[in-house]
Amino acid sequence: MALDPKFVGRSYGPYTYQAGLEKIREFAVAISTLPLPYELARQEPAGLRPVYHDEAAGKASRHGSVIAPPTFCVNFAIAPFLRAVLDPALGVDVGMLLHGEQEFVFHAPVRPGDTITTNGKIDAIYEKAQKDFLVVSTDSVNQLGRPVVHAVWTAVIRR
Amino acid sequence: MSETVVKRECDRFRPIYYAAASGDFNPIHIDKEMGQMAGLPGNILHGMCTMAWAVEAAIDALGGDPGDLARVKVRFSKPVKIDDTVTLTLKREGKRVEIAAVNQDGEDVLKNAVAEGR
Repeated sequence: MALDPKFVGRSYGPYTYQAGLEKIREFAVAISTLPLPYELARQEPAGLRPVYHDEAAGKASRHGSVIAPPTFCVNFAIAPFLRAVLDPALGVDVGMLLHGEQEFVFHAPVRPGDTITTNGKIDAIYEKAQKDFLVVSTDSVNQLGRPVVHAVWTAVIRR
Repeated sequence: MSETVVKRECDRFRPIYYAAASGDFNPIHIDKEMGQMAGLPGNILHGMCTMAWAVEAAIDALGGDPGDLARVKVRFSKPVKIDDTVTLTLKREGKRVEIAAVNQDGEDVLKNAVAEGR
């Protein structure tokens, strides 16, 4: 069943997220080349950018603190996209859903302690090659009101 | 123009680490049978993890400061499976980095992947 384009423009949010130092470290390890997270306790985290986990390195950097890897934003910016794909009104078959495309425009880095608010809306619904496409755009701002990241999430729903 | 190559491996626990770190516990990423039920070869890596690999490699290509990354866009063209090796080839021209991401069978796992520095 095709998705109904009448839902274009439907908005989701605001959703708030509190960024924490340990969560940022955990994310940095997950995307690093470390074989297992527990090895972090036993070895120097080679291949892990110091500004993502080391407070002294963060302080000495031009950012003045630890900052999150740019794609850490998935933790908070995804909220409106998830709400859209799980919205009973749309009726997306989540078992057939794949992440099709992704775009981020980065404004300010995320720091431990930041409170980030995200809003989003459905930008497009269309059909191509027997698949449904759902496009959600999101904007996240920090506690200072500064834009953090603009994201465009594209879901592909197979039939 | 400068070119760099980075290889990343999807070990069998990688989707589980990424699920925990990102909050995305979609069962197609963490359970082989659920992946197969969805018509996939098994559980597959989160596209966002492949994108994170590409983004970190692009940051290195742009000089190594994550704050210098302004924009990134990718299309997920093929799932990354357990034990896949993804070869990322980054071609930088000025502030623009074109990223190719290919698995061990020569298939593109990302298409039209591009990052831009500030």
